[in-house]
Amino acid sequence: MEPILRFEHVAKEYPNGVHALRDVSFEVKEGEFISVIGPSGSGKSTLLRAINRLIPISGGRVILDGRSVSDQKGRNLRAVRREVGMIFQNYNLVYSLSVLQNVLHGRLGYMKGLRGIFGRYSENDKKEALALLSEMGLEDFCCNRASDLSGGQKQRVGIARAIMQKPKLLLCDEPIASLDPSSSKTIMDLLWSMTKRRGIACIVNLHQLDVALKYSTRIIGLSKGEIVFDGAPERLDDTMIEEIYGTSRENLMIGGTEDDKADTVNCA
Amino acid sequence: MTKRIPLIARDLKRLYTGFLIAAVLLFIVCSVLTNFNVMTLIANGDAFWEFITEDFLPPALPKADRIPGVLSSVLVTLALAMSATTVAAVFAFFVALFGSERVSPFPRLAKLVRGFATFLRNIPALVWAFILFSSLGIGTGVGFVALFITSFAFMVRAFVETMEDVSQDCVESLQAVGASFPQRVTQAILPSCLSGFLSWFLYCVEVNIRASTIVGMVGGGGVGLTLFSYIKSFQYDIALSIILLVAVMVIVVDRVTGKLRKEILK
Ligand SMILES: Nc1ncnc2c1ncn2[C@@H]1O[C@H](COP(=O)(O)OP(=O)(O)O)[C@@H](O)[C@H]1O
Ligand SMILES: [Mg+2]
Repeated sequence: MEPILRFEHVAKEYPNGVHALRDVSFEVKEGEFISVIGPSGSGKSTLLRAINRLIPISGGRVILDGRSVSDQKGRNLRAVRREVGMIFQNYNLVYSLSVLQNVLHGRLGYMKGLRGIFGRYSENDKKEALALLSEMGLEDFCCNRASDLSGGQKQRVGIARAIMQKPKLLLCDEPIASLDPSSSKTIMDLLWSMTKRRGIACIVNLHQLDVALKYSTRIIGLSKGEIVFDGAPERLDDTMIEEIYGTSRENLMIGGTEDDKADTVNCA
Repeated sequence: MTKRIPLIARDLKRLYTGFLIAAVLLFIVCSVLTNFNVMTLIANGDAFWEFITEDFLPPALPKADRIPGVLSSVLVTLALAMSATTVAAVFAFFVALFGSERVSPFPRLAKLVRGFATFLRNIPALVWAFILFSSLGIGTGVGFVALFITSFAFMVRAFVETMEDVSQDCVESLQAVGASFPQRVTQAILPSCLSGFLSWFLYCVEVNIRASTIVGMVGGGGVGLTLFSYIKSFQYDIALSIILLVAVMVIVVDRVTGKLRKEILK
C-alpha cells in the first residue's frame, strides 16, 4: 500500500542556525496512530509543521499523498493543506466568532472567491458541521462565542474543524498539554475514535509518555532533531526511554512511585 | 569615621546625581542661548495680567448674525476630524495587513511598510498643513489631507501591533486549513481584531479633534480659522468664548469616545 506520508532525509535549519531536524526519514500508512515523543526543544513541533509547510524545510523531501510538499505554491499548496487537519495546543480558534463558524472554517480550503471570503457556506456544510458538533456533545453550544467554552470544549471544536476538512491525515501538536486530566482523556479518546472510524492517519506530539504508550500504534522518539526510536509501543523499553529523554523513566514521572504511575495512566 | 549604610546601589546614586547636574546645566545653557530670563516674566507680569483681565475677560459673544457661522465652523471641525480619521482607518487597515511579518503574504516588505508609516507619522500634522497649502491653497481640503496623512500613519502602526498581539494563532490555524490570504483576513484577522481596531480608531478621533482645530488655524478651515481671524483683529474677548466652545467640544468628544472604548474592550 502506498504510504500517505513519506519523509526523505528531511532537515530543518532555522535562520538563527538551530538545527531543529536532522536527516529525518519515515513513512506513515493509512490507519496508523503515531505518537511523536521527545523532550522540549527536540523538534516535535517543527516536524509536524514541516508536513503541511507551515514551516519550510531546508533539506530533503516531504511527500504527501504522492506530491512533494515543498514544490507546491499558492493554490496547489492550499489543496495540499486542506487534506491535512491540524490541532493545536492553544486550540487556535477565532474566539470572537461562533462555535459553528469555527467548525465551518474547515471548509475554507475548498471554497473559492467571494463565498469563501464572506463565509457563505453551503447548507450541506452547515448540516455536516452540526452533526459533527452533536457527535462531540457540543450541540447546545453551536451558536455561542468560542471564547465562552472551557478548554476541553475548545479543543473539541478544534477537532471538529479539522474533521470538516475531510483530511487523510491529522496532525496534533500537544493537543492535551493545556488541559486537565479528565478533559485530556476525553480528547484522546475522541481523537482515537474519530480517526479510527474515518480511516484517518494521525500523528500526535505528546510529552506525556504514559498517554503515548496507551493510545499509539507506533511511537517515534525524537532527540535533538534526530529519530532515535521508531517502532511499536511495546518495544519502547527503559533504555530507549533514557536515550530519548536523556534521563531515566522514574525521573519523568512526577511522584515517581509505582502507585502514582498507575494513577497517571488511569486518568491521563 | 563610620561608614554610612547606602540605601540604594552606589552607581544608581551616581546616575541620579549625574542627571540632576545635567538638567541644571541644560537649563542654564538654554536660557543663555534663548535670552530667556525668569526675571522678565516677573517684571512683565503686570502687562500679562492686564492683557488677560482687560482684553480677554469677560468672554463676549460675537455679533448675533455671526453666531450661526461660528457654530457651523465648529461642526466643520468635527466633521473634518471624523471624516479624515474614518477614511484613514480604512486605508490603514489594508496597508497594515502588509506591515506585519507574520500576517502579510509578502513578509519581506513588512519592514518597508512600517518604516514608511513611521516616517509619515513623525512629521506633525501642522507641518503637513503648511506644506500642503502652498500647493492646495487654504481650505478644508488641506486640513483633511494633513489629518489623513498623520492619522493614517499612526493607525498603520497601531493596527499592525494589534494584529500581532491578537491574531497570531488563528491565522496559523486557518493557514493549516488551506485558507487563502483574503479568507484569512475576513475570517480570522478582522473578527479577532475588530474591537482593537475600533478602540484605536476612537483614540485617533480624539486626537484629531484637537489637531483639526490647530490645523484649521493655519488655513485648514473650521473653527480654528474663525478663532484665528478674531485673534488677528484683536477681538480677544470673542476669541475667548470660541476657545471655551472648543474646550467644551473636546471634552464632550473625549467623554463619548472614552465611554465607547470602554464598552468595546469589555
Ligand atoms: N521560529 C524559530 N526560529 C528559530 N529557532 C526555532 C524556531 N522554532 C523553534 N526553534 C528551535 O528549534 C528547536 C526545536 O523546536 P520545536 O520544534 O518547537 O521543539 P518541540 O516542539 O519538540 O519543543 C528548538 O531548539 C527551538 O529553539
Ligand atoms: Mg512544541
